[in-house]
Amino acid sequence: MNGNEPSPGETLMNIVVPLQQTPDLVEELEINADGTDIDRDAVTLQLSEWDGQALEEALLLKEAGAGSVTAVTIDGGEADAILFTALAKGVDRAVKLKPSGDAPTGLDHHALARLLAAAVAQLGADLVLTGVQSVEDLDGQLPVLLAAMLGWPHVSVVTGTELRGGAIAVKQEYSGGVMAELEARLPAVIGIQAARQAPRYAPVSKVRQIQKTAKLEEMPVEAPSGEAGLKIRRVFKPEIAGRAEILEGEPAEIAAKLVSLLKDRGLAI
Amino acid sequence: MEREVFRNFSTFDEVLFYVLANLAMAIFAYGIFLKVRKYRRGRAAYRFDHLPQRLLRALAIAAGSTTIAKNDRFAGVAHAAILWGFVALFIGTTIIFIDNDILGVVAPSLRFWRGRFYLWYSLVLDLMGAAFVAGVALMWLRRKTFGLPQLDYSRVDYPPAQYSRLAYVRGDDLFLGLFFAIGVTGFLIEGLRIAADRPPFEVWSPVGWALADAIDLAGLSAPASSRLHFALWWLHGILALAFVAYLPFSKALHMLTDFANLMFRDDLAARRLPRPAAEPAPAHLGVETLGDLSWRNLLELDACTKCGRCHVACPARAAGAPLSPRDLVLDLREYADARLARPALEQPRFLGEHPSQKPDAILPGGVIQAETLWSCTTCRACVSACPVGIEHVPLIVEMRRRLVEEGAVEDSLREALESLGKRGNSFKQSDKLRGRWTKDLAFPVKDARKQPVEVLWFVGDYASYNPRLQEISRAVARLFHRAGLDFGILYDGEKNAGNDVRRVGEEGLFEMLAEHNVATLAKCRFGEIVTTDPHSLNTLKNEYPELGGRYTVSHYSEVLLRLVEDGRLTLNGGLGRRGTYHDPCYLGRYNGIYEAPRRLIEHAGVSLVEMPRSRENSFCCGAGGGRIWMDDSALAERPSESRIAEAIALGGVDYFVVACPKDVTMYEDAVKTSGNEGKIRVRDIAELVEEALAAEEAPGAAQTPAAAGAAPEAAP
Repeated sequence: MNGNEPSPGETLMNIVVPLQQTPDLVEELEINADGTDIDRDAVTLQLSEWDGQALEEALLLKEAGAGSVTAVTIDGGEADAILFTALAKGVDRAVKLKPSGDAPTGLDHHALARLLAAAVAQLGADLVLTGVQSVEDLDGQLPVLLAAMLGWPHVSVVTGTELRGGAIAVKQEYSGGVMAELEARLPAVIGIQAARQAPRYAPVSKVRQIQKTAKLEEMPVEAPSGEAGLKIRRVFKPEIAGRAEILEGEPAEIAAKLVSLLKDRGLAI
Repeated sequence: MEREVFRNFSTFDEVLFYVLANLAMAIFAYGIFLKVRKYRRGRAAYRFDHLPQRLLRALAIAAGSTTIAKNDRFAGVAHAAILWGFVALFIGTTIIFIDNDILGVVAPSLRFWRGRFYLWYSLVLDLMGAAFVAGVALMWLRRKTFGLPQLDYSRVDYPPAQYSRLAYVRGDDLFLGLFFAIGVTGFLIEGLRIAADRPPFEVWSPVGWALADAIDLAGLSAPASSRLHFALWWLHGILALAFVAYLPFSKALHMLTDFANLMFRDDLAARRLPRPAAEPAPAHLGVETLGDLSWRNLLELDACTKCGRCHVACPARAAGAPLSPRDLVLDLREYADARLARPALEQPRFLGEHPSQKPDAILPGGVIQAETLWSCTTCRACVSACPVGIEHVPLIVEMRRRLVEEGAVEDSLREALESLGKRGNSFKQSDKLRGRWTKDLAFPVKDARKQPVEVLWFVGDYASYNPRLQEISRAVARLFHRAGLDFGILYDGEKNAGNDVRRVGEEGLFEMLAEHNVATLAKCRFGEIVTTDPHSLNTLKNEYPELGGRYTVSHYSEVLLRLVEDGRLTLNGGLGRRGTYHDPCYLGRYNGIYEAPRRLIEHAGVSLVEMPRSRENSFCCGAGGGRIWMDDSALAERPSESRIAEAIALGGVDYFVVACPKDVTMYEDAVKTSGNEGKIRVRDIAELVEEALAAEEAPGAAQTPAAAGAAPEAAP
């Protein structure tokens, strides 16, 4: 790629990494009053694991001379902490998106993708890297939707990227140890499964220092309205549907118990 | 009664000698200048408090060779003989210098090196000289015939084809050989002089006199002895002057650097790690280049005599990890000398290209590899074994700080650190669940944030979250409860104490955790803190004071012992088993708590069989310094497995008793992976006490437990 001859003062390529905040599943989740979502006021939000991988991959591209990385996330929740950490890791710009209407939750990826598509257009991105999935994607994976709305090429489940001129070469892993290498024309949206190397650590002292010195950008985004990908009828905790019985004793005893059980229930003669 | 200094010397000989002597001293001065200039290039480090005490302590250690005699009496005695012999001979030579070269020139009437003084002088120097030569001979014997593993210079991290340490061996040989030759020629010229002149008062030089008798027996004539004396005098003189010139460039420098290093030693080395400089704030944390080393770092590198005690004591080295504290020090020293203080002798070479290319960069990928640094368990065995006060652990942590700042940490460690940053525990569990283990107790545990307690129990991550260790925490709680101890915990107000976080090199996270805990504790009313985890104990006790948290901190084994010895828990030694005890690094070596667990074991009725490596020489389980969060699959033999083998080898030991939560997980795992299940049981000290109480109560139901429930709540 042409990253070998950077002209002074000019950014080569703008890689935008949308960072999603998803509930920390370590904490107990509660259902909200109308039973249509988890209780968003009670959850602890954190950076979606796969978005962390996408951020790492973007930073690796940057270090290879690709250009600059812009991390974006929707304002609120842990936005500040997530963006300061991204700055500590080495992104060039950290932008908080301020939607004109209600911020979409992770449950509505269609709305989220519409918002991000608008943001990407405003930021003038050449490449979007984002997590291939999140713990909340019920109505489709974000990169697919985002690429469709932008009308850009798209590859998902990617485990490594390399820029080649106006294109991006990506690696995909399939089951059975089969690897594929694909090339997509830029601009493109890439759904990252895993970065080439484990995400780097952002040391606390560096994050604290950046908190003191750096300022986060804020960018209003006009959120276009549209249909949700799916309608949620009811959210509920897993209900006990059956029960398990553990057979104990010597192998012979267990076998005997099992046989009688099967006979009792009419499953064996 | 005296002797001539320059016997049979022409004026030319005498002038030549003074010329050579001044040349030797000039080279010596140049060498010392190079070293001092090197130290002055180091960063500031404050080690100038209590100077008189520091001086006295260094003198005491040097005078007794005490740190050398520790664990190696032979080396201690031989070193003391050489040291005192050398000091006596040095003083003897200085006396001649004062008498001959100063008084002889300015006030000949004041000369005193004669008469009765000369006789005593002769006797003392003869005996000390003999001790010197004998000491050197013993050291030679030890080095060449004992086959000691600590004197094997093989590296752990490079194949033999990639380096050569022949220069080290030659340096050792030259040092001892030069000493031996100087000593022996000294005695020979004395014997030859006495044989030639036979002054009767020289019977006061017993060794010289005996040698003169031997020379007579050999049939050497007086004139022949005289001529040989002249030749050997020159040889002896030139060897001695050569030694003076060679000293700053060789192993002999340790005479000066080790004394200074011991003087500027930090008593709390590794126990309390240095805080990063606040003013002026450094461009980056930790040590990356030579310029980041302090003068004391550069001095301690020069202090190393390659005695190899740290090398054999190191659990990482024993496990096959690419770390040897000795080689770490030597690599840094060679690098520092090559860049900051040329020339230096004894520099072994990397064959081919030196691994480091970046100027002055130690890290990353320079002379010190990241894997080397990550191998350290911070067990402090090296610091404790080092006879000359080298502080390896703080140096390693300083380099780790730099790696952490670069974000270069392995995946499992990163996840642990991120979890610690987010939730205050390394288990990736909700901070709200920290106190959940108390729910299965039959009694409530006080919330120390809400009511005053006598004892505030800082439970720690492992004892709070690990299901197996929660059982032990409940056992401790039951014992405290039974003894009527007024205690409480912080529940989700507690975060990891940060000891291991700090030793990983994540200074910012350590500060964040410590600040949180200090703030939480500041709102609580309590008498003392008790910890389950010796690692927490160390940082609370030694490091929190610098962050404004000053507490009395005890270990639960100490509190349990107090309860037993005060009669609040009645133990009559009813268990009747055999057990061995593993000293946790952070309890024993770090904080000197050796007796409390041992006495508890005795009270419980377990007869204690000590492992070869016990107390200060205890062998690390491999979990410290954040190693518990890192991958240890690359190790040839995990330290914990080696330790279990050591216990099994004692024969007939039922219990492997520990007093640290991490030890329970490490050793229970090691018992399984080393195929020793059923042969030995890992028991926490609290479980042991509970088991002993149960065993004592079981036989007679009539015997009511005296302490249970009867003790009054202690007043807050």
